[in-house]
Amino acid sequence: MTAPSAQSPLLLEARALSFYRQDEPVFGPLDFRLHEGEVVLVEGDNGSGKTTLLRVLAGLLHIDEGELLWRGGRWLRDAYLGDTLFLGHHLGLKADLSARENLAIAGGLYGTRDGVNANQVLADVGLPGYEDEPVRRLSAGQKKRAALARLLLLPATLWLLDEPYANLDRTGIELVNRLLEQHATRGGAALVTSHGAVSFLSGEPRRIRMHA
Amino acid sequence: MSQAPLAPACAALLRRDLTLAWRRRGDIAMPVLYALIVVTLFPFALGPEDALLQRIAGGVVLVTVLLAMLLALDAMFRSDIEDGSLEQLVLAPQPLALMLGMKILAHWLTTALPLIVIAPLLAGMLHLPAAVMPVMLLALLLATPLLSLLGAILVALTAGTRRSGMLLALMLLPLCVPVVIFAAGAVAAAQQGLPWLAPIAWLGAALALALVLAPLACAAALRIALDA
Repeated sequence: MTAPSAQSPLLLEARALSFYRQDEPVFGPLDFRLHEGEVVLVEGDNGSGKTTLLRVLAGLLHIDEGELLWRGGRWLRDAYLGDTLFLGHHLGLKADLSARENLAIAGGLYGTRDGVNANQVLADVGLPGYEDEPVRRLSAGQKKRAALARLLLLPATLWLLDEPYANLDRTGIELVNRLLEQHATRGGAALVTSHGAVSFLSGEPRRIRMHA
Repeated sequence: MSQAPLAPACAALLRRDLTLAWRRRGDIAMPVLYALIVVTLFPFALGPEDALLQRIAGGVVLVTVLLAMLLALDAMFRSDIEDGSLEQLVLAPQPLALMLGMKILAHWLTTALPLIVIAPLLAGMLHLPAAVMPVMLLALLLATPLLSLLGAILVALTAGTRRSGMLLALMLLPLCVPVVIFAAGAVAAAQQGLPWLAPIAWLGAALALALVLAPLACAAALRIALDA
């Protein structure tokens, strides 16, 4: 599903990227390149620093050592925000609001892709009929789907997905794969973490292997 | 692809926080109830002596309202940190300080405004002269947003720590003192027929400063809290 063609422009590049927590190395030094249209799987055992890597790339954690380049230039927070979308362990959904209201606030903050609306994307992620249900009443898998709906609505190029397969059933896993595939064909890129040896992605995606 | 413009983003965030507060109306009622109970108890404890109550009325109402506000202060960013909404807000392509300003505004509207609305009732229960009422309301209108803004900085600073309630209370005390002194000073001066504009002007000046600086400080503090 990922054809890392040499022609597609470079999106993100890490050079000897390392992160320390109280002088303890969490990961790195890590080198990788991410092109447009590429989906890369970040693999590693529990505690190998996958989530930390994604949080560094999202701009939530500072970079200790190494360099990060964005579209060939220096990584700058302001140029980067809005063009990336981070989906972490905490889904960023308000339990007292419905899935639709949660999407509305995300769209208000990040902007929306042209030609899509909240109802459409909620139907796409398999939540028709649950649009107005408070998120607290949804199951863990349905909450995940409500968060995944953000991916469809917001205009980001780079997706940073931390364990997007967790809590999802078989059709949910297929949904994530379909979203990733569509995103790649549109020219978007994604970094996806997974702790299992199994990858659910069809084909042979490129991998970044993390070691504790 | 459409970039999110600033004004709708502010409106969306404000609407979200107000909707959330409305869905948990019980939480809004709590500080109001607390203030009502405290002020009701004073005449019982001190005796229904008009002159005494009149003398302490302004101070009691101000302190009660400010304390009632502190009850809800702790929760300003907590749920956002717990459910990951704050990460989404920090990563949004919007000026974080302004977004946090909106959150503080929502917090003030849902906790302080109901208290200001019942403040004349509270003051009436303690026989505060009607002529002093406008001065007290003015003092509250300036003191409560100031306290919200100052409190927000401290809540943001302690956001990374668990059980921050104790620390927050200790840090907030020295910041509360000048606010209470100026607000109560204005009310006392008005009650004695003295000019009361100076302390009000001080409150206004502090508020103007806090309006500009507090959201910036909050943004910096929350970025640090998340970067841990």
